[in-house]
Amino acid sequence: MKQNPVTLATGALVVLIFAALLFAFQVRQTEVVIVTTLGRYARSLEAPGLYFRWPWPIQNVHRFDNRIRNLEKKYEQTTTADGRIIVIDVFLGWRVKEPRKFLELFGDNLAAAERNLEIQLRTAKNNTVGSHPLADFISVDPQSLRFDQIEAEMLREIRTATTNFGVEIVLLGIKQIGLPESITTKVFDRMKAERERLVKQFQGEGERESIRIRSEADLQRERILAEAEGQARQILGEAEARAAAELKTFEQNPELAVFLLKLDALEQSLKERATLVLDPRTPPFDLLQNAVTAPGRSN
Amino acid sequence: MEPNVSGKGLVNWVLLLVLTVAAGALARYAQSATGLAATGFIGMGFLVALVAYVQMRLVERERLERLEFDELRKSGTSASLFTTPDAEQFPARRAREQFEKYFVPAFALLLLVGQGLGAYFLWRHLGTDRPSTVEQATVAMTLYGMLALVYFQVGKYSAVLARLQQQPFLRPQAAYLLLGSLLCVVTAGVEAAGWAGYPQVDVIVARVLVILLALVALENLITLVLEIYRPRVREQVVHPLYESRLIGVLSQPGGLIATAAQALDYQFGFKVSQTWFYRFLERAFVWLMLGQLAILLLSTCLVFVEPGEQALLLRWGRPVAGREVLDPGPHLKWPWPVDRVQRYPTERVQHFTVGIVEGDEFAAQRVLLWTKPHAKEEFNLIVASKEDRGANTNAVEGEQAVPVNLLTVNMPVQYQIADLRAYVYGHADAGQLLQFLAQREVTRYLVNVDFDEIMGRGRRAASEELRQRLQAQADAHRLGVRILFVGLHGIHPPVKVAADFERVLGALQEKEATNHLARAYAAERVPLAQAEAVRKVNEAEAYRARLTSLAAGTAARFTNQVLAYQASPEVYRLRTYLDTVSRAIAPARKYVVVPSNTHEVVTLNLEDRLRRDLLDVTLPSAAPPANR
Repeated sequence: MKQNPVTLATGALVVLIFAALLFAFQVRQTEVVIVTTLGRYARSLEAPGLYFRWPWPIQNVHRFDNRIRNLEKKYEQTTTADGRIIVIDVFLGWRVKEPRKFLELFGDNLAAAERNLEIQLRTAKNNTVGSHPLADFISVDPQSLRFDQIEAEMLREIRTATTNFGVEIVLLGIKQIGLPESITTKVFDRMKAERERLVKQFQGEGERESIRIRSEADLQRERILAEAEGQARQILGEAEARAAAELKTFEQNPELAVFLLKLDALEQSLKERATLVLDPRTPPFDLLQNAVTAPGRSN
Repeated sequence: MEPNVSGKGLVNWVLLLVLTVAAGALARYAQSATGLAATGFIGMGFLVALVAYVQMRLVERERLERLEFDELRKSGTSASLFTTPDAEQFPARRAREQFEKYFVPAFALLLLVGQGLGAYFLWRHLGTDRPSTVEQATVAMTLYGMLALVYFQVGKYSAVLARLQQQPFLRPQAAYLLLGSLLCVVTAGVEAAGWAGYPQVDVIVARVLVILLALVALENLITLVLEIYRPRVREQVVHPLYESRLIGVLSQPGGLIATAAQALDYQFGFKVSQTWFYRFLERAFVWLMLGQLAILLLSTCLVFVEPGEQALLLRWGRPVAGREVLDPGPHLKWPWPVDRVQRYPTERVQHFTVGIVEGDEFAAQRVLLWTKPHAKEEFNLIVASKEDRGANTNAVEGEQAVPVNLLTVNMPVQYQIADLRAYVYGHADAGQLLQFLAQREVTRYLVNVDFDEIMGRGRRAASEELRQRLQAQADAHRLGVRILFVGLHGIHPPVKVAADFERVLGALQEKEATNHLARAYAAERVPLAQAEAVRKVNEAEAYRARLTSLAAGTAARFTNQVLAYQASPEVYRLRTYLDTVSRAIAPARKYVVVPSNTHEVVTLNLEDRLRRDLLDVTLPSAAPPANR
């Protein structure tokens, strides 16, 4: 039977590709690889490049990412050393350090490894938080804040706990600190009360300032008026003294002086509305009496 | 039917059984959704092949029975043989008829239900999250490829046999064998795509296969319905109910091309399929395809890195010395899969937000107010406070006094990739780690800063300090990024207490207003007092001047009056008296009472009159009583 050369070439190419896929594999820059032969460990490959192997099922290739992976799972409620309740979220960065040990413990299952790491992380987190009072987590005083120290303690504890995991815990950080819902409500109440205090304080300060300014103004007014009053009285006194100096003149004829003063007083007192009921004997009305009586006598 | 046909049917059935198991195992091994869907198809093929084989056997038995009957009739052994009913004379035919009448429709119905349920459950299964893995991709590709080759040969052989020998029951088996081969190729391709860095192709292709399965179920339903109304013609070759024409077309696309060519001939009115161009295409089709593949492969030798991008060049997975990072522009490289390129937008300003992210439903809000929510979820962070903590330590039972405040935070962070190698090779997800670190820095900063300070003047300084801290953290962990901007403009009290904060601001304004009013009072009061003081002093001065002058004048006048008095004391006294009295009493009302009779009582009404002017008319001078 005559074979079509195209078919043969295509078949050969496909066979070559399959053979290459079966016998060769790449290790990338970001990977470490464990090769097992019939299920037993054969070699570790940490340098990137092209490698050869026996096809499956004789040899199997297990790849692991050698980069730092992030792990962050639970935002968890816990208590501090002084019994305060906080909710805390911690993340960590880890990577496969010993791929053979990692393979033996977790196989190819990264999720299983992360589950185990999460358990250790939660333990380290709760232990460390429980050994510090809340003031170590939150303080305006940089000297009394232990935030970095707490992270270092957690990192140390989880590194100790995962020594045999074949991984390296590269970093750990407290991502968030919060409060449970019920306590959050209390904090809101306290914040409201604090704001109310400030409102009252500002209102009181405003009133205090207002009264101070007003009273100072009143004081200044009284001072000014009192000073003016004093000055006026002094002037009046001087006036009296100067007027009194002229009294010696009246000593020439005191009788006349008294008479004239009376006349002045009489004139002054009659300036406003006055009604006089006069006896006809009062001069000059005594003239009237004479006028009335004269005709009578003539009669 | 040829004697060996049922043997072929048995072989096909066994092969489909093996293929079902192998495809299922491979799908599980490679965790391939496409492989799982393909297993569903092949599994149905195994059931169809089983029923087809049984039907084949029944037809063969019927054929043998007819041969025996013909031999007997030729030998003429018994006339009674022709008087017995058909059911007794031809039990094999009767069995075949019963099988086709009851079992085949029931099986077709069950097959329809199976296809429908299969499509439903596969679709649901694809919706769940599955771990994507490429570790077994090469092995799976190889095995799928081998299976495809084997089953293609067997399927092609069965298809040709069915066509040449007019075997209707071999045809569905051949169709499923070829379909199995095709699905193996597709799954191998999907595995290759996953290996090349496109794992999402798996789910897409799997969904397409599930839709196809549903279409096959629909076709079966239509076939079943049409079967009810199909006119039964004796000796007509029956089309197996369980045979899918859709699968037939899928498994032998050549038939489709032939059908298409016939359609073209019919449409254009001449033999398109006989033209030189069509014949050339038919002859050179494979070469053309290979040429296209070669061009495709060669095209991977040229890389254009776009402006604002950088690319990492890897040869067999290892960075190429001296050309690890490719800058914008054209670059030559070895074809895939020797050299691979990963592009990253290193110049692009990337950003993320720590804290609340304004949702789409709030994007239309032109005014953002503290008192109105502008994100789906509140994101409150603890902030320290300088206030006295001792006041809050007396916690009531069941409560917890917390010496902290809460702030809603919306902090955008902008960054660029500064060191691509560190960014890609150092961390599986450097962007996510940067977000974690940013949130850690915000938390770290707020627990160590006073609430009022961060809400006031300290905000600008806080932004810059946070940027520096985040940059330091990114450098410490070799993230390879440059932090461009950290903004704290979206920091404010939570919505639930925002109104109370506004009240404080209102109280501050009120305080200022009260102050201003008081200052206005003072500003008026003091000048008025000064004016009053000046008036008082001036009045006193005036009095003094008047009194002094008056005294001096009076004294001077008196000196002269004394002289006049001494000249004629009596007359002077009288004159002075009369002058003064007449002048003084001029405006006064005067009553002169003349007592004529001492017993008379004179009554005078001295009340004020309302209209003095009316009563004050000048009366004509009264004539003296003597004149009356």
